[in-house]
Amino acid sequence: MVIDIHAHPLLLDEINENPEDLQFRRQEFGVFKSGINPVDFELVLLEDAKIDKVVFLPEDYSTEVGRAIVSNDEMARIVARSPEHFIGFAGIDPRREDAETELIRAFDELKLAGLKLNLSRLHMYPDDACLAPLYKICQDKNKPVMFHAGYSWEPNTPAKYSEPIRFEDVAVEYPDLRFCLAHMGWPWWQETIMMLMKYPNVYADTSMVYMDSPRNYYEHLFSVNMNLNWLQNCFQDKVMFGSNNPRFRHVRSLDGIKNLPLREDVMDAVLGGNAMRFLGMED
Amino acid sequence: MVKLVENQVISHKEFEMIKITDEVRKAVEESGIKNGLVAVITKHTTTGIMVNEALPCVEKDIEMQLDRLVPNDYPYVHTHMLPTYGTCSGNAPGHLKSMLAGNHCLFPVIDGKMMTGSEQNIYFVELDGLQIRKYFIEVIGE
Repeated sequence: MVIDIHAHPLLLDEINENPEDLQFRRQEFGVFKSGINPVDFELVLLEDAKIDKVVFLPEDYSTEVGRAIVSNDEMARIVARSPEHFIGFAGIDPRREDAETELIRAFDELKLAGLKLNLSRLHMYPDDACLAPLYKICQDKNKPVMFHAGYSWEPNTPAKYSEPIRFEDVAVEYPDLRFCLAHMGWPWWQETIMMLMKYPNVYADTSMVYMDSPRNYYEHLFSVNMNLNWLQNCFQDKVMFGSNNPRFRHVRSLDGIKNLPLREDVMDAVLGGNAMRFLGMED
Repeated sequence: MVKLVENQVISHKEFEMIKITDEVRKAVEESGIKNGLVAVITKHTTTGIMVNEALPCVEKDIEMQLDRLVPNDYPYVHTHMLPTYGTCSGNAPGHLKSMLAGNHCLFPVIDGKMMTGSEQNIYFVELDGLQIRKYFIEVIGE
């Protein structure tokens, strides 16, 4: 099982019938030149890359910009196009008056699989009081949270709100809440691996090719910045393959991970096993 | 007189030679132009337009020679995030192969038909697949 835990659906044709919708999403997300991607072609890309499932992450800053970049209803429509391949997360602007009821609706009615939050875009630290009710809902309903962590390409996203160490209180106060520090929290990958080793409920993903080719970048990070055995022996059950598509192609990010000289059991875990546990698919 | 047609192709491999000779012949015959030139031009910078013999062995030699000249794994400059795109540039080999392939071809149009040698075929060449692509067929004449 290969799962891409980190992809964004904002260019899919299912939700971009109106050209103004596409333009809004491009500007808000900071993907300026990419064209519409038909859902049918996305499935071809996944099949070519030999990726079994992809997790789509929406974002909602509607109290600020008037509408979600991808709403929960739109996400449910996307997932309905190919439920065996697509896993959809919910997006909630925590400043919405109906944030809690909308999150419950997203889980109970729309059957979305987790919550995505980019606190850098929200200008909000992880211990902000308005986030606590959302964390509790996720913990009670056994739904994971995908936090943006570290550097973000989105406009208006100060990294200070998403430094990995800032999430430590969440890991302590919500020990049964599984959450992922996306992008390995780059450039604070040392803080991220501390969190991975110390807290059983903390995960990270590999959607962090900010420079160089995936092969060179992953090799340098895991074998030069780190020792490859750290990944193999210390947090082998915590790192998940993520591409950050459409900022980078699924297939090329995956090639970079597959090129790492990992033990077979670790490779299997990184490519899918860890994501299955994070998503609660093993329950 | 000038007639322009825009066609779409979908590539299903990273490298793919897609024969478009019949599409070009059809566009010429439907243009109403009797004598002149037909140009086939790609809209992209990681694709090519080639003319060659449609034999699998020749196609494979072209692919292998391009790979020898432009290896996938090399410290290219065009491998970083592009702020104006918001995406990563991971396709330097496609750009360099496109430079070698060229972006167009030309054939004469005589008596309303495209004139080619008996073994000449026109290919749209994907060098950075899989993608949804477009190319122009422009017929110029009278």
